[in-house]
Amino acid sequence: MENSTEFLLEGEEDTQKGRFLTFSLDKESYGIEIKHVTEIIGIQEITEIPELPQYVKGIINLRGKIIPIMDVRIRFKKEPREYNDRTCVIVVDIKNISIGLVVDRVSEVLTIPEQDIVEPPQMNKGHGNRYVRKIGKVGSDVKLLLDCEKLLTDDELEDIRVGM
Amino acid sequence: MSDQYSNEPMLDMFVFETTQLIEQLEQIILTNEKGSCFTPSAINEIFRIMHTIKGSSAMMMFTDISVLSHTMEDLFYYLREEKPNYIDCSKLSDFLLEGVDYIKGEIDKIKSGDDTANNPSELIKTLKEFLVTLKTENNSIALNKVNSPVKKPQYYIRQEKSITTIYNNIYKAIIYFEEGCEMENIRAYTIIHNLKDITDDYYFLPEDIIDNDNSAEVIRQQGFQIYFKADHAYDSMHEFFMQTIFLRELDLIQLENDNEYKHLYEKKQSNIDSINILQNNPIKIPEIHNMNNAGMDKEKQASVTTQSIISVSIPKLDKLMDLVGEMVIAEAMVIQNPDLKGLEINNFQKAARQLNKITNEIQDLVMSIRMVPLSATFFKMHRILRDMCKKLGKEVELEIIGEETEVDKNIIEHISDPLMHLVRNAIDHGIETTEDRVSMDKSKTGTVTIEARNAGSDVLVIIKDDGRGLDRDKILNKARKSGLLYKREEEMSDKEIYNLILLPGFSTKEVVSEYSGRGVGMDVVSKNIETIGGSISVDSVTNKGTTITLKIPLTLAIIDGMNIKVGKSCYTIPTISIKESFSPKEKDLILDPDGNEMIMVRGKCYSILRLHKLYKVSTHITKFTDGIIIMVEQEEKTLCIFADELLGQQQVVVKALPEYIQKLKRVRGLSGCTLLGDGRISLILDVAGLINI
Amino acid sequence: MKKVLIIDDAAFMRLAIRTALEKSGFQVAGEAANGMEGIQKFIELKPDIVTLDITMPEMSGLEALKAIIKFDANAKVVMVSAMGQEAMVRDAIMNGAKSFIVKPFKEEQVIKALNQILEM
Repeated sequence: MENSTEFLLEGEEDTQKGRFLTFSLDKESYGIEIKHVTEIIGIQEITEIPELPQYVKGIINLRGKIIPIMDVRIRFKKEPREYNDRTCVIVVDIKNISIGLVVDRVSEVLTIPEQDIVEPPQMNKGHGNRYVRKIGKVGSDVKLLLDCEKLLTDDELEDIRVGM
Repeated sequence: MSDQYSNEPMLDMFVFETTQLIEQLEQIILTNEKGSCFTPSAINEIFRIMHTIKGSSAMMMFTDISVLSHTMEDLFYYLREEKPNYIDCSKLSDFLLEGVDYIKGEIDKIKSGDDTANNPSELIKTLKEFLVTLKTENNSIALNKVNSPVKKPQYYIRQEKSITTIYNNIYKAIIYFEEGCEMENIRAYTIIHNLKDITDDYYFLPEDIIDNDNSAEVIRQQGFQIYFKADHAYDSMHEFFMQTIFLRELDLIQLENDNEYKHLYEKKQSNIDSINILQNNPIKIPEIHNMNNAGMDKEKQASVTTQSIISVSIPKLDKLMDLVGEMVIAEAMVIQNPDLKGLEINNFQKAARQLNKITNEIQDLVMSIRMVPLSATFFKMHRILRDMCKKLGKEVELEIIGEETEVDKNIIEHISDPLMHLVRNAIDHGIETTEDRVSMDKSKTGTVTIEARNAGSDVLVIIKDDGRGLDRDKILNKARKSGLLYKREEEMSDKEIYNLILLPGFSTKEVVSEYSGRGVGMDVVSKNIETIGGSISVDSVTNKGTTITLKIPLTLAIIDGMNIKVGKSCYTIPTISIKESFSPKEKDLILDPDGNEMIMVRGKCYSILRLHKLYKVSTHITKFTDGIIIMVEQEEKTLCIFADELLGQQQVVVKALPEYIQKLKRVRGLSGCTLLGDGRISLILDVAGLINI
Repeated sequence: MKKVLIIDDAAFMRLAIRTALEKSGFQVAGEAANGMEGIQKFIELKPDIVTLDITMPEMSGLEALKAIIKFDANAKVVMVSAMGQEAMVRDAIMNGAKSFIVKPFKEEQVIKALNQILEM
């Protein structure tokens, strides 16, 4: 029994490999590894929590579970935008932490073969998006593949700013 | 770990049971150390604990634990059987505790999935040497014991040889057992035991299956040989042997004549007398029938209690608690449903009351399930006390009062560390050295008292020592230097001064000692207690001692709360801290020159906290007379909170804020959140936090 | 399905034996954590076979065995023992235990022993 479920999981892992959920912010298209994604929900009432960095919008009640919501636009220092009916929340699970990511629009699930994934160009620290780990090429399009862990943990700079 | 047993429940059970046994063991050691030495019942108990751990860990393939516990079992087997006179008890306790710590450490590693094993071989060596020393020191007694039994018989034949009936057939059987079935000699004995029903004329090789456990190895190599005479036919004898459990191979031959048989038989005849000894002295078996009735009754009781208690995993209880909370909310939604307004529904009301009664009962019951006595946490302190006294060369007694007081399971987890810290502080910094105490005319032995008692919906945990007390001037000095004085010195009461040590960044002790390691000081203890909604206060009398009082809530899981609204946001204030709420009148409002807003209530002045300002919530209610004031109190401090309106009182299930948010920031004045009947989230206000902003 | 009663003071051992048995189609009719409880359950549940730990507090496995055999001379009891307990196991055999297994045991050993004894 145990073995067979393990096998199944392995199989699942395999099918998940190289698969990304893509979403857009402004004109750019981003990708998140599908293995992190738990579900996609429409925008819903967010309970604000005071004193947090701007990109943390608050918490929501997801079927009895309280999960935090992060606005990816603000996280990437883009202009905030009013939420509308196309605004989506991608619920991800990263190292056992559930968090909802607010994005403009969810596009599709794509498989990007390994050979089409390249390192992001080395840019000056100020310009490059430090949450982009790799770049995926799909036809003539470019998908910015995110480093989810960084999204959650890379806060030192922000912390100082919030503190001031 | 062995594959076959690698499944989770088994591992969980192993961890659970071993942890329990180890705690039990630690208690026994500490209790016995205080007395003269290990009592026979303690020795027996320790033997049994080590025996159980040995077995379980061997099954789980935790060889290190298994080998160590085996060594300890051997040691206690010796103590139990030989009852040696000279035991170095203090040393024995040290070794045992070292073993306890080792196993604890390993269990922790197993729990966290860390597979780096620490080798206990040093300790095992020490234990073995200790056993050897024990044996040598108690040599004379041991020798006597070894010599006392009559030389044991070498083989085993029925003694009623003389009245042997004449059997028709002669057989020779060679039996091989399955590999790894263990104790082959006893398995061989089992065959002989059963063979007795068929014949009384037999002998076997190896002969010493009973007395020499090494004969098992011989049987493994050469098989077990039996020569016997019987009336049974070959087939029936074959069937008899085939029933042997763990039989690998049977070689059964019917012999033509009894030459071979006689030859062996005569060789052994001379020893027959000694066999009689064995037969006439059946192995001593503790007689249950002789047991007195009182003993039986006690056992009966014990069996009843073990039967009626089961262990439940904490996550399941948490889930149950959550569900009950949801149920309470759902019930409120049904009974207070706006659709019911103005309806004549007597029967509904009656049924609703019944439902309400049952829900309350369920809730109380679930809460009570989660309640655990503080005893285990308190008793842990014995060990800390022991170790510290040994290292610091102090004499300190630990007095425990009210350990049966119960608090919620998750609160216990939160107070264990602070308590440990406080006890360490008391011994390290509070209690003086023996010389100092004697020179000050105090009793030679210091006393640390831990006391728990109920106080309404709180539990008070008091840690008291009769040591030197806190140094008022030193504290003031230090606070002055660190800029921690919030008031003019002359205006501060002694108690206020002592409580300065709870402030972040305060530490009186320049020298960091191994135990209390003042690097993290009392402020950490204070923080820990605050996170569970408790509070801490310090009092001290020079040369008489220090008393630290922790006030902790009984439970974290469900609280009575008042829901209030500010703009679109909803907050919950624990009802217990609310003194009153009222709509303020213009004339009572005061604005001091610094712009602080205050209100006069019955001749007393209180400052007002605007929640909407504090948390930057937009609301159109900014005039005090439009909203409501909720007066809250904690630790004799009072604050008036200004909100838009009251939403009503209800029981709420406390949920922690998501880990991610807690990591980002500890938001001032927020202790958690809860779900309201309509699914919205309300933030639970931490009154103590708000008062101290 | 054959009914088994497990008597062992160690919850871990009970679980280990239960797990082994249930995988192989035995029905664990009950568990007991000490000798006295074991005897009561034996009388109450009438199991086809019993696994009985030899070292238990208060009432040892041997005492429990004697009581069980006294109640039912044909009771099928398998002792669970550890290395070094040869003398106790022998006493158990003398007092009517059908066989024994030695800790740490393998699952198939338990199953085999029980099956064989049940076939007797």
